[in-house]
Amino acid sequence: MSAAPTRTPPRVARALLRSLLPGDVRDDVDGDLHELYVKRRAERGAAVAVAWYWLVILSFIMRFTFDRLARALRSLAAGEAAPSVLDIKLGARILAKSPGLSLVGGLGIAVAVALAAAGYAVVNSYFYPDVPLNQGDRLVALTKFDNQARREEERLLYDFLAWRRELRTITDVGAFRTIRRNLVSESGQGEPIALAEMTASGFQAARVPPLRGRALIDADERPGAPAVVVIGYDVWQSRFAQDPSIIGRDLRIGRETHTIVGVMPEGFAFPISHQYWVPLRIDPRAVVAPGTGPSLNVFGRLAAGVTRESAEAELRVVTRRLTIGGAPELAALQARVLPYTEVFMHGEVGGSNETMATLRFLVALFLVVVAMNVAVLVYARTVMRTGEIAVRTALGATRTRIVAQLFVEAFVLSGLSALVGLGVVAVGLRMFDAALVGILDGEVPFWMHAGVSFGTVIYTLALAVLAALIVGVIPALRATGAKLRGAMGSLGSGAKAQLGATWTVLIVAQVAITVAVLPPALLKGWEMVQEASRPASFTAGEYLATRFVVESGAEPAAIASENDAAAADTARAIMHRLIARLAVEPGVAAASITTGAPWEGIGATLEADGRVTEAKRAVVLNVDTSFFRLFGARILAGRAFTASDVPLRYVDRPVIVSRSFVTEVLGGGEAVGRRVRYQSHGKDPQPWLTIVGIVEDFPTAIRNASESTKRGARMYQLAMPGELRDALLTIRLRGGGHTPETFMPALRRIATSVDPMLQLSHMSTYDAMYRDYTKGGTQLALVAALVTAVVILLSGAGIHALMSFAVNQRRREIGIRAALGAPASRILKSVLTRATRQLALGLGIGLVVTVAINRVSGGAMMSGTGLLLVPVTVALMLVVGLLAATGPVRRGLRVQPTEALRAE
Amino acid sequence: MTHQGIGEFEQMVLLAVAHLRDEAYAITVVDEIARRTGRSVGRAAVYITLRRLEEKGFLSSWLGEPIPERGGKARRYVKLEAAGARALRDARSAAERMWRGLDPASLRTR
Repeated sequence: MSAAPTRTPPRVARALLRSLLPGDVRDDVDGDLHELYVKRRAERGAAVAVAWYWLVILSFIMRFTFDRLARALRSLAAGEAAPSVLDIKLGARILAKSPGLSLVGGLGIAVAVALAAAGYAVVNSYFYPDVPLNQGDRLVALTKFDNQARREEERLLYDFLAWRRELRTITDVGAFRTIRRNLVSESGQGEPIALAEMTASGFQAARVPPLRGRALIDADERPGAPAVVVIGYDVWQSRFAQDPSIIGRDLRIGRETHTIVGVMPEGFAFPISHQYWVPLRIDPRAVVAPGTGPSLNVFGRLAAGVTRESAEAELRVVTRRLTIGGAPELAALQARVLPYTEVFMHGEVGGSNETMATLRFLVALFLVVVAMNVAVLVYARTVMRTGEIAVRTALGATRTRIVAQLFVEAFVLSGLSALVGLGVVAVGLRMFDAALVGILDGEVPFWMHAGVSFGTVIYTLALAVLAALIVGVIPALRATGAKLRGAMGSLGSGAKAQLGATWTVLIVAQVAITVAVLPPALLKGWEMVQEASRPASFTAGEYLATRFVVESGAEPAAIASENDAAAADTARAIMHRLIARLAVEPGVAAASITTGAPWEGIGATLEADGRVTEAKRAVVLNVDTSFFRLFGARILAGRAFTASDVPLRYVDRPVIVSRSFVTEVLGGGEAVGRRVRYQSHGKDPQPWLTIVGIVEDFPTAIRNASESTKRGARMYQLAMPGELRDALLTIRLRGGGHTPETFMPALRRIATSVDPMLQLSHMSTYDAMYRDYTKGGTQLALVAALVTAVVILLSGAGIHALMSFAVNQRRREIGIRAALGAPASRILKSVLTRATRQLALGLGIGLVVTVAINRVSGGAMMSGTGLLLVPVTVALMLVVGLLAATGPVRRGLRVQPTEALRAE
Repeated sequence: MTHQGIGEFEQMVLLAVAHLRDEAYAITVVDEIARRTGRSVGRAAVYITLRRLEEKGFLSSWLGEPIPERGGKARRYVKLEAAGARALRDARSAAERMWRGLDPASLRTR
């Protein structure tokens, strides 16, 4: 050891001991252990003594923590500290006494609880839902996970047949897939619907009998059996007006006519969100091998008394036997038995489990931050009540009793706030459920319902308790700690307690965080509002868009492996026919097929050849040759796509970029002829794509030409109708007496006449689509505004509490100085100095953090409007701080000298 | 005053204090118990017990002079109070009543 040997115990261990032991034994234990340490050190050497000291300290901390806990429990059990109705009344009275604090604190907690509880409810209804079927928790999904590709193997036909034949621990083994077909009305209009192509065993597994007629039966699955369909209650009601003689009626689905054989009861949507069920037909003569055939979902019910683990064990044995002698890659597949809903939730709404866990954590963190803030406010008040606490202690109240009372006071606040929060959540979840119907196209899984459940209420209660612990118990423990004896000594002279360094740090940190976080939040919010309020100045009423899908030609009966190449050919031919047919339709000026609307697209990182080496982000949209003509976008240099580009291989086809792309990605200069490529994530670089033309910034051109958009870097790739199997068809109508609304039914008829397998969905005017697109931004901006308001409010309240405290502490001094004739301005100045210093320090640190964030974010924040926001935020915080300070300062100036001196 | 019983460990601590007279503080109490019973004693348990016994009024305590080898901290000495002495006597007589008529040899286990 380099330093001279000390004879005192290890400092850190000693500090730990002193901070964690009860005040009344702290000095005794510290002294005794010091004595023993010195003795031991002399006898056995420093190393042994240090090790011994650490061990003994840790054992002391543990023993005393247990002892404290046991004492608290004992006194609660003995009714000594048990909160009474009086405590609750007292709590309510204290809330009413300081309405500002209650309102601000309550609002903060309510917002935080609402966010946390909503997060909990949503996560639970998606990731750990109850299946609302008879013994729904016994329903399982049978899957094979590909450990190499990290995904579920979907081609399970071969396995399904074996599982159905051999499994003993799982009954009612069934399979389904969702197919989309046009439901063709008597007038020839096609409307796409989702059908469950399902084995008859699905109805047995669900254990729900039909309302009318029959469910599917095994005989329906045989090839050549008559085409039948079972419909759902909603369809029976909406489409057939609850026709009592529905059984036996015909339904034209795609190219085939089906006979309705049954109606399922209300709310039944097994396997996911289905309202039409047709038999899954498997040709027993078709040769199937592992890993071939259509994508299927396999499910079943755990047999009585069987656990998921034991079922999985049997499934693995059966599956392993199937793969013996098969292709080696099959061995990498792991058969699994999962809770029924799990397999549908991964990668769907809400992203991965990790994302949700992170989100949950952040929301909980937000609650803790808010609660800490409120705790600081309450602490200031509790400290001012030190005198009262000291008196109560002197009169025989135990510490536990006082802490319990302060906890109840805090719980009155947090409980009420949590109740408000829960109310907000109930309304919010109803809206969320409604929004979900939109997001999922009305295909909300039957188990998904994000209502306020019993679990959510319990969770909210736990949050309220947590908040009350932070808000009530932490200040209470501090206020009843070692300094209490001092307070008892100075009872006569009013509250002399100090707000320690913790308080200063919290205020400074709060102001700093606000200054650092507000500008980016405001900027984002402002952008969203701008985006949302920007008028969609398309040539109104001229554009009509619809998503479309060309379903492969496979009919339900022919379930053998689908040939993708053949399907693509068919799709291409069908789309060509549709475009050709639309071209001769009166009133249709032009039609174009893209992956999305002009303002949509997929973000990509692109590299340019030549002098620019840094990869940049841009938005990519796949379009066809008529895209720019359709929207009247001007080509500024080079050329538009032509029909001669089409036959080229996909990677050889040219691209067109926007003007902003030239400046942002290519760094300006001549762009036509230059090459770009996608950034490669693997070893091999992506192929180069050649730029043949520059188009004006777009979609600005179809909005308001005078406005500029920040996300203007766009690249357009040429795609062919038919290559895009699920894409957007945009039609411009001019003349011919059509509006988009009147043309919609006509378009459906035309599509069905071209091919019944061509499905049109989400038919809408561009105006409406644009409104939908901006609506999300508006809602997000609202939430951001709410959170920002809470942050500002809490900061203001924090400064207010600080000022109140500072003024209260100096009442006597203020009174005397006023009596001696000091001018109000000087008194004011001296009172404000401390708070102003903290404010200034917070602002300074906040600015430094802002600059740091700006550096990290690559200057995105400080550019343009963002730069202006920083001084705006600083000014705002100053105004909030000064406003918060006025009340206490005015109270201070009103202090009468006599009143102030009376306290002596 | 209601009768308060004492546990075995409390008895040992009280007896150690009684033996040590003016020299009783936590460290010597630990050593005394260890010396007389041959058992190792948890130090923290002794502090917790001393605190409890003082709260019950069986012991009283006072601070000695500050000592440099203790980092300037004083020793907290403890003294047996009348209630403590009574509790010890009660515990002993209760035990003796229970022993009466019992041959220690008959307690041999198989």
